[in-house]
Amino acid sequence: MKRNTLVITAVLFILAAFAWAGWANWEYRKQAAERLLASTAHAELVPAAGDSGSPLQFLPALLGKPAPAFTLEDVSGKKVSLASYKGKALVINFWATWCAPCKLETPWLVELRNKYAAQGFEVLGVSADDIDRGDPQKLSDEKRAIARFVQQMHIPYPVLIDADSISRPYGGLDDLPTSFFVDRDGTVISAQVGLTSKDETERNIKKALGIVK
Amino acid sequence: MIAGKTVIRIALASTLTFSFAAQAQRPLLDSASHSAAKPAAVAYLYPEQITVPAGKPATIALHFRIAPGLHINSHTPREDELIPTVFSIPEGSGVRLEGAVYPPGADFTLPLDPRTKLSVYTGEFIIQARIVAASGEHLVEARLHYQACDNNECMPPKTITAAIDVIGK
Repeated sequence: MKRNTLVITAVLFILAAFAWAGWANWEYRKQAAERLLASTAHAELVPAAGDSGSPLQFLPALLGKPAPAFTLEDVSGKKVSLASYKGKALVINFWATWCAPCKLETPWLVELRNKYAAQGFEVLGVSADDIDRGDPQKLSDEKRAIARFVQQMHIPYPVLIDADSISRPYGGLDDLPTSFFVDRDGTVISAQVGLTSKDETERNIKKALGIVK
Repeated sequence: MIAGKTVIRIALASTLTFSFAAQAQRPLLDSASHSAAKPAAVAYLYPEQITVPAGKPATIALHFRIAPGLHINSHTPREDELIPTVFSIPEGSGVRLEGAVYPPGADFTLPLDPRTKLSVYTGEFIIQARIVAASGEHLVEARLHYQACDNNECMPPKTITAAIDVIGK
């Protein structure tokens, strides 16, 4: 009897040790997962509340916050800073030469930019084409390809290069085109991911200008 | 009799405890990473292993699948700016790529631009790769470079790996 009690106690002790080890392991993995998620977190795009319900219409976590600052080169090598556009309503439009929907959207932006420029509106195009800074010949070719696109599309607004370098604060830019609408105070008031429509884009520009709410 | 019941109880308790311990080994990051990362637009299907004559050209059919709702440019897109789909095998892998025959692209138009025709792949497609393998077994990490879009947006260009065990005999 005494031997049985001893055996049962030993078995129970071992089982308790297993249970504790399992629980500790589970907790450790849970915390590691949370740490990893926190370290890779980026602005999550969520459907805009109260819009037409289009699946293409999104508002990012940047909504209501200052547009993340940046200084980038344009195709001619001139430095352009977001801060220098304070007081203007802006569209920060991320695009690429290889993006067919961007090609469709660009003429709309050109037309709307020309229509509202006098009211203090500007577009900043930011190219997401790859940039090889380590290879001067490649870099020159890449800049030339972007400049050719700018010329073909008759783009009158500044076109900057190296969107990759600012993609993180702008939510990762996993899809193009992506546009952020910024009001005169520098606050992001809306965003569009993917090709929407000219009307939708114009509505957001008017919001940025304070013409409509 | 009592001792027998005790043994059964202990066995049951052990099973439950081991189940709990095993549950704890499941990678908790699975669900987290799925929600954070998009699945790849293109997946390599097969073959995983092939046997070819060593030192002689052989043609293998490589099968890929594009996620529903997406398309990628064909190997010969109609516009210079568009990024073609290209298959390659890294040098020094024991297998040389002599050439590849790509399927012809299908005509595709964006709903908002019916006038512009793109040359794309959708669904499953096959690349016929002509290879020469050295004698022996080679774990080749072949690459497919592509750029995917749906009707309204595009994803950045990407390169996926197609792992193929090539045996040259």
